[in-house]
Amino acid sequence: MKRIVGVRGVASAILALSTAATFSASVISSGGASASQKPRAASSSFVIGTVNSVQKIDPDVVTNFLDFEALGLIYQTLVQENANLNIVPDLATSWNFSNGNKTLTMQLRQGVKFHDGSTMTSADVVASLTRAQASATADPSASYLGSVTNIAASGPNTVVLTMSHPDISVLEGLATVNMAIMPAAAISAGTIATTPDGTGPFKYSSWVPNTSFTMSANPNYWGGKVSLSSVELETIPTEQSISAALQAGTIQMGLLSQPTVVSTIPKSYKVQKAMTLSYRALQMQDRKGILSNVNARRAIACATDRKQILQDSVFGQGKVVGPVPMGPYASQPVSSICPTQNLKQAKKYLIASGHPKGFTFTAITSTDLDSTSAYQAIAMQSQLAKVGIKMNIQNLAANAYIQDWLKGTFQAAFAENGANPNPYVMYGRYFGKGATLSVPAGYTSASLQKELLAGDEVSTPAGQVKAWKKLSADLTGNAVWIWLFTSYDFAALSPSVHGFTLSPVNTTQLSSLATTSVS
Amino acid sequence: MNKILAIGRRILSVLVTLWGVSVIIFVVLRLLPGNAVTAAMGVSEGLLTHAQVAALNRYYGVGQPAVQQYLSWLHATITGNLGISLSSRMAVSTLVGTALPVTLELAFFAMLLGLLIGVGFGMFSALHPGRWQDDLGQTVSVVGLAVPSFILGTVLVVFMSTKFHYFPSSLGFIGFFTDPWLNFQQIIFPALVLSLGIGAAILRTTRAAVLEVSGLNFARTALGKGVSRKAFIWRHLFLNALTAVVTMSGIQLGYLLGGTVIIEQIFILPGMGRLLITAINNRDFPVVQSVTLIFAAGFVIVNMLVDVAYSLIDPRTRKR
Repeated sequence: MKRIVGVRGVASAILALSTAATFSASVISSGGASASQKPRAASSSFVIGTVNSVQKIDPDVVTNFLDFEALGLIYQTLVQENANLNIVPDLATSWNFSNGNKTLTMQLRQGVKFHDGSTMTSADVVASLTRAQASATADPSASYLGSVTNIAASGPNTVVLTMSHPDISVLEGLATVNMAIMPAAAISAGTIATTPDGTGPFKYSSWVPNTSFTMSANPNYWGGKVSLSSVELETIPTEQSISAALQAGTIQMGLLSQPTVVSTIPKSYKVQKAMTLSYRALQMQDRKGILSNVNARRAIACATDRKQILQDSVFGQGKVVGPVPMGPYASQPVSSICPTQNLKQAKKYLIASGHPKGFTFTAITSTDLDSTSAYQAIAMQSQLAKVGIKMNIQNLAANAYIQDWLKGTFQAAFAENGANPNPYVMYGRYFGKGATLSVPAGYTSASLQKELLAGDEVSTPAGQVKAWKKLSADLTGNAVWIWLFTSYDFAALSPSVHGFTLSPVNTTQLSSLATTSVS
Repeated sequence: MNKILAIGRRILSVLVTLWGVSVIIFVVLRLLPGNAVTAAMGVSEGLLTHAQVAALNRYYGVGQPAVQQYLSWLHATITGNLGISLSSRMAVSTLVGTALPVTLELAFFAMLLGLLIGVGFGMFSALHPGRWQDDLGQTVSVVGLAVPSFILGTVLVVFMSTKFHYFPSSLGFIGFFTDPWLNFQQIIFPALVLSLGIGAAILRTTRAAVLEVSGLNFARTALGKGVSRKAFIWRHLFLNALTAVVTMSGIQLGYLLGGTVIIEQIFILPGMGRLLITAINNRDFPVVQSVTLIFAAGFVIVNMLVDVAYSLIDPRTRKR
């Protein structure tokens, strides 16, 4: 008897499952209108899909791209970079250098309120910059304040930075979110790492790690009314799924980097692109082995077809660049010896190097860190083979690559490095005197150090252009590294989104959300 | 008394297995290059001074003796909070508490659909050997085993979103008790994708087991006695083939708990798979250890349930 009951149970279960399957099929056939029209918790939430997720919410310790974006909407800095990568006012309205460019005096914007309602004063700025500079904070941008010996308030709306030597590039350092201005009281209370509190257009609402980060409009924003009532950064692990969500109407914007996915988005959606403020390069350890031979490196530089690498790795969605990829001091030409592939010249350099038939070296890549690096390597491998240079490729997991990179235990490395319009900020850390990244840079030169210092100390625009042009020529003439290209980032927008412009400043690409609206 | 001893032995073996898993995972994680500081800072770690690196090491607990790290995590696990996530600084139990129900729900629906496909088509094939029904069943099993779930999932997502503007998972995961209908829509499609592979394996097992049983003497005897076709199929064939089906289902369910990783990525489900992948990338050891231990515990529990099911299905096993 029990067996019969068991049989009926099994049959009932199968029947129930059949119903479930039929039910799900009916969902597909109905087009699922009810789900796509189903409102989120906050119906007017502006949802941005991204493969990244917010990892930390303390602006002084963030390094992740999306952390900068999210916190860049909550916090503000004394100065900022505009779309042309020039330094413009933010929380400081004006500034001037004095004492031979060793003193920087900044006037603060008045009437600015933090999200907690308190008014921003010079005491908050001093506390914020002091926190960023402190070793215990471990701010990755603290080196930007390396020359700063004193930070002091001079009245409620004036701050004075005293430097040990002339350093006008300190302004670029003050534009990063790592130098965000926060309430002195929150710093004292130790709540910065758990409760973001800035002066930006959006206030922190909630954070579900690996899932979403939500902000709401700041009604007291000094920059004017914010149209979007809330913004949610939703983590969608694959770009294909971001494209799907956009077309399903469940997100209003998708942040993308893969041209293959961008090409699948229908024309009715707006796709904006902006050059990332980073560059791809083949870094070389020039202190030992075959790559210590300058003519061997020059042979690599001349045998490289950068345009083809750009095409093969990102479908041409970018631009071939030199050491300074963009901004007022952009390298032009991109290389002082071989701006384009020149195999004849490469062979001449090989003869000069003492290896007329070529040589062998190994380059590391990490597709975990840069999904295009393997394509770059394969393209370059076949180009170098034309002149007899054999490049072995070793693809490493992210952490293994980072460790090798930091220790300089590689011959060559395909790298994507952060860029800055100011060449001193970009290369002082690699090639300057006492450079913190001298080991992975793999090259030391007294002339480069002089050029960097000279460029940092010149204050006239014409003088700066001349100084940085010389630096670009030196870096490419000695083939210190092989600079390749910079690519685009993409923002795919629902047709209902207005007023958004993807900024070329890669740590605050979303800054125009303050003036964005949805019809 | 013997029963109590047997239960005690079983519980002890489970605990030893889980402890072994925790030690292996702990050791393997420490063999990976890099640590939480490297994962958090990337190449920017090179910009830090020694004092800054020391501060970060203290923050992430890097540099503590391995034994101390293990014992600290083990103590936290035994007391139930599973430690603190190195990257988000949240309690691991909180993170797992959010992710585990999603994965369990997904696994439950995938298993149900897998059983429906596997048992349904398996019986259908076995009862019509060598005919078109059998060919259909065999085709379903080959397709189910041959098509990777990530391809099927991606195709389904693209098809639904481009043709029907429908992708319910991208609304952000909604719990069953918040909105059962939306929750069902979010779960059913990834479950369907996962169920095909499971169903194919169960289908082949069901077919083979039923065909084997149908050739045995007692089956011929039953037919000779004149039992109805319905009773013959369900009471004599299916129930006697059920042991093999349950065994295969148990194995599939065990793998399923850890096999939802890619599908959760494609369908944007904030389950254990996504939690694990992010934690591995961040070298967030307490989270990786805890999630892996939960997967292992799930496997062990499923195995125990399969053993219990044997005794319910086949009275002969109760006497052993």
